[in-house]
Amino acid sequence: MVDSGTESDLLSAEALNGEMWAFGTGGIAGKSLDGGLTWQFDNFGTHDWTHSDSGFDSIAIASTSGAVIIIEEIGEGEEDIHDDIPPVPTQERVNAIALTGSQSLVAVGHSGEIWQFDGVTWNNRSMGGVEDLLSISFLDSNAGLISGQGGTILATSDGGVTWDYRDAPNEVSSSNISLVEYYSDIRAYAITEQGHILKSSKQGSVSVGFVWSIVEIEREYPPGGGDDFLPGGIDLDYQVNSMEVIGQFKMVLAGPKGYLALSLDGGNIVSQQMIPVSNETSFHAVAMQDGFNGVAVGDDGVILRTENAGAEEFVGFEVIDFNDFGQFVDYSKERLIDGLVATAKIVLFGIAMGFSIGIILSMLKTSPTSLKNVAQTNRFQLITFALLPFWALFQLALAIINGILLLLRSGLGLPTKSLENPIGIQISELRQKSAQIAANKPLNITAIRLVGSVLLVLGFFQIFSTLDEIRALNLDGWEHIYAPVGSPASFALILLGIALIILGVVFASCNGDFSIKDLHWGASKRKFSINPWGIRPLNTIATVYTDIFRNTPLIVQFMFIHFGFELGRRIQEPGLELFNFDYLEGHANFLTNIIVTYDTNPDSLAYGRPIGGILEDRAYISAIFALGLNSGAYQCETIRGAIAAIPSGQMEAGRSIGLNYMQTMRLVIMPQAVRICIPPLGNEMVNLVLNSSLAMVIGYAEITRQGKLIIATTFQIFWTWGMVMISYFVITWSLALFLRYLEEKTRIPGLGISGGA
Amino acid sequence: MSDPILSVKDMEKTYVGGVHAVRGVSFDVLEGESLAIIGSSGSGKSTVLRCINRLIEPTKGVVRLKGEQINTPASNINSVRSRIGMVFQSFELFAHLKVIDNVSLGLIHVRGMSRDKAREVAKQVLDRVDMLDRTDAYPGNLSGGQKQRVAIARALAMKPEVMLFDEPTSALDPELIGSVLETIRGLAEEGMTMVVVTHEIGFARDVADRVLYMDEGVVAEEGPSSIIDEPKSERMRAFLSSINE
Repeated sequence: MVDSGTESDLLSAEALNGEMWAFGTGGIAGKSLDGGLTWQFDNFGTHDWTHSDSGFDSIAIASTSGAVIIIEEIGEGEEDIHDDIPPVPTQERVNAIALTGSQSLVAVGHSGEIWQFDGVTWNNRSMGGVEDLLSISFLDSNAGLISGQGGTILATSDGGVTWDYRDAPNEVSSSNISLVEYYSDIRAYAITEQGHILKSSKQGSVSVGFVWSIVEIEREYPPGGGDDFLPGGIDLDYQVNSMEVIGQFKMVLAGPKGYLALSLDGGNIVSQQMIPVSNETSFHAVAMQDGFNGVAVGDDGVILRTENAGAEEFVGFEVIDFNDFGQFVDYSKERLIDGLVATAKIVLFGIAMGFSIGIILSMLKTSPTSLKNVAQTNRFQLITFALLPFWALFQLALAIINGILLLLRSGLGLPTKSLENPIGIQISELRQKSAQIAANKPLNITAIRLVGSVLLVLGFFQIFSTLDEIRALNLDGWEHIYAPVGSPASFALILLGIALIILGVVFASCNGDFSIKDLHWGASKRKFSINPWGIRPLNTIATVYTDIFRNTPLIVQFMFIHFGFELGRRIQEPGLELFNFDYLEGHANFLTNIIVTYDTNPDSLAYGRPIGGILEDRAYISAIFALGLNSGAYQCETIRGAIAAIPSGQMEAGRSIGLNYMQTMRLVIMPQAVRICIPPLGNEMVNLVLNSSLAMVIGYAEITRQGKLIIATTFQIFWTWGMVMISYFVITWSLALFLRYLEEKTRIPGLGISGGA
Repeated sequence: MSDPILSVKDMEKTYVGGVHAVRGVSFDVLEGESLAIIGSSGSGKSTVLRCINRLIEPTKGVVRLKGEQINTPASNINSVRSRIGMVFQSFELFAHLKVIDNVSLGLIHVRGMSRDKAREVAKQVLDRVDMLDRTDAYPGNLSGGQKQRVAIARALAMKPEVMLFDEPTSALDPELIGSVLETIRGLAEEGMTMVVVTHEIGFARDVADRVLYMDEGVVAEEGPSSIIDEPKSERMRAFLSSINE
């Protein structure tokens, strides 16, 4: 790894007479006189120098638009820059260039364009073909090869004036041959976009270029070597950007996603090299001074230098020294940042989910609806409840229709008129009926008792019909506490049965008196009160929820939810079914992008697979739910505490001006309660961030897990965990600062004790 | 004699836990009349008041507003409450809302007014209680007297048929009481029907048309405001003398 001093993407590189050159975006050009150790960068115009070739004491560079510069060496470290070369008169784009002399070159481009520059003007040497020509290479000033789309191979023996077709092997007759290299008079190599390596040798008197064969790739070694390898087949799994042949059998290949590979036997065994930069770096060119010394250049100004390409089979390029803190950080930072992003994602969704659940649960817990209210409902109210969803549906549709009507009528100058919700009319009639009933006959005790008896019967029936399933579990004594796991459905049914029996007893014993009952215990004076009509069913539901989530460890919840319940899979599979690739093609918007995004690049290996969004990763889904569900239970209690801190007079005041219960909650209680609970909620959110580290147990690549992976590679335990800690601190501290700001921003003037700064 | 606007008949309230706070209270309030309820702490005054607009559900009895029974499930309690203004001892302004929003909240969400219209009405009402210059203040930055006047404005904005005052001056410093009493007096003179639970005997004497003395959940004595000077019952006499000390 060399400090290049530039951040621009480097697109091409050349080695010439002991000097190294690298060229890149925005006209950037760099030179190194010491074999690639130190670099000086300059700007040659503003074009992206995508193509280059060297030879004849010159380097030619060209952009896809046709701009050309020739750099002519005139002495040790000195050169003439010929930037007055007329641009290639290309119709579309230039794909490659090759020097045929110190001032002459040939350029190829799209749709079969071939242009030859003789030092003065460009001559059109196109063959009339339509295939895009992708690469050109000259052995000397006369013999050259061109490769292109659809297995095209052209050859010349007169410096590019006339060209002849050559035959590519059948297997690649429809492939695009993206690179060709005329290495010597007995050897030339070419490579296709699929990664087929083609080889042509001089056979007897038949010169190079006539007969091509596909190299059988026996083994592909992953970076780091070792004894593990992948069987290669006839192609590499990579799309190679650059090929540098440095011997009859020796070549270096460079490509995207950190691909830098070396073959010592003409492609039979290809070993990928360990690189000291991110695996995401794209390498665009390799330039070798000789068989061992050279550089590879890529995105973001990355220049890698080697002095022993091929000396050691698996470790060609410079290996990072993990004992050097700078290099260690350079290596681990990208992983940490990946982890940071992954953590932030589950934390954000977790907080949102937890807060929503918390608000809902706290409202349930504080809701005053008791069994008494349930008993007092009459049939018209029940019908009203049943109708409400339909009313909402109609209301939504009508809002849209009315909006359109309003636009149309106002556009035509007609008086505006909006449609009424028919169900709304029904509901208001029902409400009147229910009010009349309530006035005339406030309580239908017979009906309540009847409902109670039915519930009682149903409850007993439920329990006795499911007890057998519990018995079938063959549990003994205290082992029964595990029955909920052994048979979740029947356990839930038994709970339901018990609840029905309790409801049934209460309802069946109704005599119109809803007050608290005092019971005397036998002959003794001990008295205790029961208040069955004060049971609040909504509160009970919320309490069961919070009790479950607050009384089990989060790490176990993570594993139960992900591995046990497989929540991730259960959501991902139907989710992907719903938002499938074909549906999202053309329908994708920013909302669906949050849910899932697919790889839409047909050339990519991941084509058609989810590559982003919540549904991409099961562990991601499970982590969000585990954090959100758990945090919701805690946030519920925090918010409930804040609601309890609002003086009861506020509810009275709200009700006294005619607001109903939900309106008062929404407009009066909640706005104040949420302000009160910002500090404890901040506590809870910071906790959530820290708890998110437990997501590593389900294989989610958040920051703690990334730390473990870094240690697995680098063995730097102190540094890694230290950096992980600092990363967490940065997140939670900025969250805390934000909450402090929020608290200050939403503070009600004149309220509360101000503790100063 | 015209029909009473507000009529309470045989009201009883037993709290959960068995406290029998109100034991059969009946009274009528005529249009434009102001009724003062006095009595010692725990005598059930505030309970009676809260039972009228059903912030507390009376155990027994009938409450009628303009002849219509309002303590049945049949009556729409929210619309009934919006017809009965209530002012609390501890103001109970909505601390997170500005003065103007406190007053216009009910207009927007109960009366369904537009925001601008509601603010307009709110300003008129605030002008009436002499608080127009503090419309953009938060309740936390107001003095007790100002808060109570905003609370009165909040109730007034709904154009109530009856106003209930629950010890409107008990939480105020003596020097702040004056402005609030002045406001209430002004309302009484304009003909607002009101029921005032108060410890301000002087105020009851001056402003109230009738006085109701409650003791231990029952109406111990009832009559024109002159009964304060000449109480008939022993209990009321004892109560008044304990206050005057």
